[in-house]
Amino acid sequence: MRVWLAIQCFFKLLFNSEFSRQVQQLAEGELAATEPGKPLPTTTEKASPQPPPSLRSDAITLLATLQREARFVDIVSEPLDKYSDTEIGAAARDVLRDSGKVLNRLFSLKRVVDAEEGNAIEVPAGYDTGEYRLTGNVSGDLPLAGELMHAGWQATICELPSWTGGQQSAFVIAPAEVEIS
Amino acid sequence: MSAKYVLGIDLGTTNCVLAFVGLDSEPPEVRLLEVPQLVAASTVASRTSLPAFLYLATDHETSTGGFDLPWAEDRRYGVGEFARRQGADVPQRTVVAAKSWLCHSRVDRRQPILPAGAPAEVPQVSPVTASQRYLEHLLAAWNARFPETPAAEQIVVLTVPASFDAAARELTREAAIAAGLPADLVLLEEPQAAVYAWLSARGENWRKELSEGDRLLVCDIGGGTTDLTLVDVADEQGELALRRLAVGDHLLVGGDNMDLALAHQVAELFAEQGVKLDAWQSVALWHSCRDAKEILLGADAPQSHRVSVLGRGSKVIGGTVSVDVPRQLVTELLLSGFFPNCALADKPQRSRSSGFREIGLPFEADAAITRHLAAFLTSQGSESGETVSPTHVLFNGGVFKAENLRSHVLHLLDGWSADKSSVGELPGHRDLDYSVARGAAYYGWSKQHGGVRIRGGAARSYYVGIETAGLAIPGAARPLRALCVVPFGMEEGSEVDVPSGEIGLVLGESANFRFFNSAVRHQDQPGDLLPDIDERQLAETDSMETVLAAVDPVAETEAETGAEPEGATEDATNETYVPVKFQSRITELGVFELWCVSTTSDQRWKLEFSIRDQGQNGTER
Repeated sequence: MRVWLAIQCFFKLLFNSEFSRQVQQLAEGELAATEPGKPLPTTTEKASPQPPPSLRSDAITLLATLQREARFVDIVSEPLDKYSDTEIGAAARDVLRDSGKVLNRLFSLKRVVDAEEGNAIEVPAGYDTGEYRLTGNVSGDLPLAGELMHAGWQATICELPSWTGGQQSAFVIAPAEVEIS
Repeated sequence: MSAKYVLGIDLGTTNCVLAFVGLDSEPPEVRLLEVPQLVAASTVASRTSLPAFLYLATDHETSTGGFDLPWAEDRRYGVGEFARRQGADVPQRTVVAAKSWLCHSRVDRRQPILPAGAPAEVPQVSPVTASQRYLEHLLAAWNARFPETPAAEQIVVLTVPASFDAAARELTREAAIAAGLPADLVLLEEPQAAVYAWLSARGENWRKELSEGDRLLVCDIGGGTTDLTLVDVADEQGELALRRLAVGDHLLVGGDNMDLALAHQVAELFAEQGVKLDAWQSVALWHSCRDAKEILLGADAPQSHRVSVLGRGSKVIGGTVSVDVPRQLVTELLLSGFFPNCALADKPQRSRSSGFREIGLPFEADAAITRHLAAFLTSQGSESGETVSPTHVLFNGGVFKAENLRSHVLHLLDGWSADKSSVGELPGHRDLDYSVARGAAYYGWSKQHGGVRIRGGAARSYYVGIETAGLAIPGAARPLRALCVVPFGMEEGSEVDVPSGEIGLVLGESANFRFFNSAVRHQDQPGDLLPDIDERQLAETDSMETVLAAVDPVAETEAETGAEPEGATEDATNETYVPVKFQSRITELGVFELWCVSTTSDQRWKLEFSIRDQGQNGTER
């Protein structure tokens, strides 16, 4: 039996490039991860169907969303020198408003510190350096008191659209638009 | 398997929403389903509403998988946000306002007629199919999120405009069943759903906020339609009870008309600057005008608001045009165009002078919603000689985000009120976009838990057109009289034998009856024969028909109406006359049925709406 299989494989290796690629992977011990025939364990308790891993980075998806709904990439790519502030302002008003809508929907932004900027606040002992950035005369024992210069931002959710397109458009932020007459 | 949730579905003209509540949640916590949908090709994101747009993809678009969803591959169409965007750019392939077509009795709503005027290679769909697609999507979204409790096994409440006639309700149900919703789904009128949402938000407090003798006007202005309903507060054995008193006619005018009218005006302001907008910019302008409307008719509105339309190409700053829209323009255009001051005695103008026409749909000749409101209130009062004046108003629909519109309507109602008393808006938070779906879910919940119900019954009385004098043959040209078969307010779960002379039908032939309804003739009882058809009071809808196959009475319940009966003895060519009378029935689920019952045997035949082209005015394509 094995002899026959070996002969089959010999010719297939010679003439079938996909087969030879897979055999090479097998020889290198990589095939197990991508084995197609093996059924995935099914579960009915999933809260939502898991989309296949996307070929596109979430960063591109975010840019695509900002461009689609707010023309964000357009406006930051445009040279500003030839326009007056009034012209820039007219376009920016809409772009900024719509960009804000997108960010709020995707990230539901809120402040890190719930206090007015300029007020005195206390930095808790054992604070996270990711949450607070201390400036000025940073010395003494925690908790430290100081003036809130910037209240910070944080996302409370992170809900980017999922993208299922192919390799060719994985880096496309906005498709070219062609009007057929 | 028994239901665990109630699903309330608002199948809107421009947006669909699904709200749900656990049957065992107490107090009921109604939530909105996040609906995953295409927002661009190959891009799926969740939104709390599903825009009711259907885009019919080209073969190439289908083959690239751009319309696939987590639960569906090789999609030939898309619904939701992406379809709405496509609607602006590719109108010939996008179905819009399918719901408005559902109640348009001059076209066959089961025929593929949408998008109207599409080129031959576009596979058109019927208004029923389009509605089915939206419901299928909501269902699939539910089932993806709650695979353990599929929608088909839950309690489902689907809302329809109060002004939908029996045929339009039947078609809505048909679309829902085809989409896979359970056969025992309940249809609820949208304005009532809005009231339930208010009741659910107020809890038991509503009994302090309304009292006996109060009369509530629900003013629901959606994207494309306006729906009016009156609800009475009565005292029944010491308990406050709600009774739906009347509903208005179907008015095809809504918020979209206002935004469009404003966009036309603003486009002229641009023209004065020498800027001509192309089709794409006009759509963008339409959306900007919606915001402008809300800002300029809002509280503390500025004197003017700058409306910009961004350039189409990638030069967004260079291509942007903008114009200042003065508040006065908006006030004059929208208030005098759609909410003009008028007297209670004023009637909508019948002439077709308004500019809002789209091929096919019978938009209102008079866009003045206040005149329709006045006519509605006077028509309900005519019976006892006094006018009906509401004491409270519940606003619904995104239009009423504009505060000035709310206060303007209240002010008008004050002036119309008989004793010049003040008409108040119901207290509490306004949930103008989602209350219909939420209220529908709460209604299903309270049905199980014994909460307060709005009693109403049939919103209209219904009539069959009858030729008089002896055995008449339907179809013969004789003067018509209208036989009342369903009285106004007929309760769900009841049936009535209609007293009448015997009507002769021919066995083996189809019988076709013209069918009418009235929103204003509350006094008619079953069997009453109106001497003529007064078009101001009776509206003709789809006719009703059946084929009089001789049905074996035992097998009658299973037999498809009109099917050849088993062991039929009569020969159809014999022209056997069968004397029949009518029996009408409204099921517990609110489904209207009309039967012809033989007076000489146990046989009976169910009449079905004949949703077909009504002759020369038919399908406009």
